[in-house]
Amino acid sequence: MNKDKTESDQIILATGGYDHTIKLWQTHTGICQRTMQHGESQINALKITPDKKHLTTASYQHIYMYDLTSNNQNAIINYEGTSKNVTCVGFNADGRWMYSGGEDGRARIWDIRSRNNSSCPKIFEVQAPITCICLHPNQVELFMGDQNGVIYRWDLRTNTFEELIPEPDAMILDLDIDATCNYMASVNNKGRCYIWSLEYGSTDTPTNLQPKHKFEAHKKHALKCNFSPNSEYLITTSADQTAKIWSVPNFTLLQELKQDSQRWVWDAAFSADSQYVFTASSDCYARLWNVNTGVMERHYAGHQKAVTALALMDVAAS
Amino acid sequence: MALYDNKYWLLSHIRNSFITTDDTGLCELVMMGDTKDIKKHILSQETYSEPEGSEDDEDELEPQSYDIETEFEFGRERSNTAVQLEKFENKKKLHRIKHIKWEMDKSLPENYFDDLFVKRDVRGIKVETKTSMVSEVIQKYTNLPVNPFIDYAKFDGSGQVNIPTRKYKIFLTMLPESLSNYPIGICCIASAKVEELIGLILLQLSLNHPDVPIKSTNHYGLYITEEDGEVDSDFPCLSAKECIAKFSFNCLGLVEHKDTRTVTFDNSVMIAGNSHENNLRKKAIRDSKLEEKRKLQNMKLIDVHNKAMEAPLYQSYRVYKMLNRVRGKVEIHLGISGEKIEIDPIQQKNSKFPNLSKQKAISHHMDTIAWCEITDVKNSKTCFKIVYSLTFGGSVPNTADNSFGSYSFSPVLQTSASFKHYEFETDNSTALDIVQKINSILELRSSSSRKEYIAAKERKNYKRKSFNLSKK
Repeated sequence: MNKDKTESDQIILATGGYDHTIKLWQTHTGICQRTMQHGESQINALKITPDKKHLTTASYQHIYMYDLTSNNQNAIINYEGTSKNVTCVGFNADGRWMYSGGEDGRARIWDIRSRNNSSCPKIFEVQAPITCICLHPNQVELFMGDQNGVIYRWDLRTNTFEELIPEPDAMILDLDIDATCNYMASVNNKGRCYIWSLEYGSTDTPTNLQPKHKFEAHKKHALKCNFSPNSEYLITTSADQTAKIWSVPNFTLLQELKQDSQRWVWDAAFSADSQYVFTASSDCYARLWNVNTGVMERHYAGHQKAVTALALMDVAAS
Repeated sequence: MALYDNKYWLLSHIRNSFITTDDTGLCELVMMGDTKDIKKHILSQETYSEPEGSEDDEDELEPQSYDIETEFEFGRERSNTAVQLEKFENKKKLHRIKHIKWEMDKSLPENYFDDLFVKRDVRGIKVETKTSMVSEVIQKYTNLPVNPFIDYAKFDGSGQVNIPTRKYKIFLTMLPESLSNYPIGICCIASAKVEELIGLILLQLSLNHPDVPIKSTNHYGLYITEEDGEVDSDFPCLSAKECIAKFSFNCLGLVEHKDTRTVTFDNSVMIAGNSHENNLRKKAIRDSKLEEKRKLQNMKLIDVHNKAMEAPLYQSYRVYKMLNRVRGKVEIHLGISGEKIEIDPIQQKNSKFPNLSKQKAISHHMDTIAWCEITDVKNSKTCFKIVYSLTFGGSVPNTADNSFGSYSFSPVLQTSASFKHYEFETDNSTALDIVQKINSILELRSSSSRKEYIAAKERKNYKRKSFNLSKK
């Protein structure tokens, strides 16, 4: 039993949403292990720091950081100074800095390890609310999508940027780059998914993007797109009450994850070996699906309102 | 005590006693000024101090008790503990949340960014192919029976911020005494029903005490309980379908019902346990379910049998007799026995039209009754009708309600010229009882009026069918 405990302790599954709480779950039993309070606002996005010690929430005007190692119900750090909703947040690989994007049209870099805690060295402004940010695995290029339908590539080293407009009059709702850096995917509010193939650029040459594919993923808003860690699958979630898994590189439909009661599917996260996927939806449940069979294997009950954000930290089994 | 001959010390002692025992603080105000003088005098009394006791004396030669902190303020200073606590509290508040404001720092060294943003070579990144922890745990516990109370987690109110919740102390009477003496804390959302609160408690119980056998929620009741855990058996348990917000008791006891009406089993459902026993457990659960089904079926049969046996015994029901549309309905006693059916009016006291609703007693011999059935089921009411024959058996109903008698004999004759019917309305279970009872009696007697009614009905059906056919 003791061994099991340590095993399951290594997995962190966090969900949050409109009920102003964050819940941590034991994945195999579906039991909620801990509830944290997020009093002032809904949760737009959740991220676990690379060192697994903190959980970060993007919310209205603030980014909060919670301590995962203690039993503190409340946030321990409050990053403030943004004027509207923070829509996305993330970290570089070694957890030294944090990036955030928000409806105020600004992407910010926060130096979270600096001694005086106030040095926040970079900012990037666009014309419309930023909906999503994705950090290229090379750690220096940020890709951002906004509500005007523009995708920006911002090089943090050279401070240069370029713009892409895949489809006029459509909001970019999410972006992702796969772990092997071969593809970038973006989804928009018309349910379409665009794929680019990426070409590596050495030291100061930017990554080159080549449009590769475009397909109708969903009938309504597509909300999230995520590549699996093994780069074999792409999951898209949508307002059409489904999540769909597409096989890479052909982007043919592999599984449609659907339940009658499931409403909007807001977020999704693959297990580290890409065999399972967690989803969060408006019917107050998070769910676990088997990627190969498309069967729902667990559900996580406890939220009082829509679950809009989900974060998973999974490790390779020893 | 040696110091008692030091008059200054004595003076100081008396002053201290005054100051510390006076809650108004006035003594302190009056006496505060000349502490210094006393101190000087005490310290000058070298002659009284003995060499070996000198160390102790130094401590005691303070002019004033440590309880008094001299500050020239009105009122007394609060105790040290309170001050300490407040400091601690403030410190905690400060440390509780760290605020970091977004600011552009222009004074950064030039190589700062080079250090912060280091480009990684992404060529030849290898993907992880090992089984992950999530897969391992999920596959390992595929056969783990799912905790049947897991969905009650929805009603857990702990940690909820913006919705009303209720906190309870729950005593679990089914646990061994050492554990059932102490309540567990349960926080439930205020909109939950009592049975959902029971489910939430059972979920907690199944997690904390996996060895305790747990039955389904309807085997348990929540009772009002004293703070010391004594269950108050004078009151019934909280009604399972009610919202918990209706009850204001915070201390409740969960009791397993030993009621005979709820079927109990020896091999009850086990929720969680060691994985190697899972298959055995699953079988046990399946078996107990089958047994439950069988027992329920048996009970149903016994029930039907009992009802048939009891049918000819006289029983009286209070129901509404439906009159015409204008006059609505009137409450009557419906007496049913193996021999006859009696309709006795109940005196209406507050009726606006005492004459209109006045009803006479009616009695029908059972042989004249032809049919009884439920006609309409509404939310809480059920309508049923009793069809009787005018010609059979010779016992013409002895009604004498001249003015409106014809109405009460139902102007609509759907079946045959020689049959009329009454319509009644009552709550669902009573209606079911009555109809079952009458039908059991009718089946036993199988009178000729019943036969004719059924025959007439069939003829009518046949006619309707043949009419439909010819139409085609």
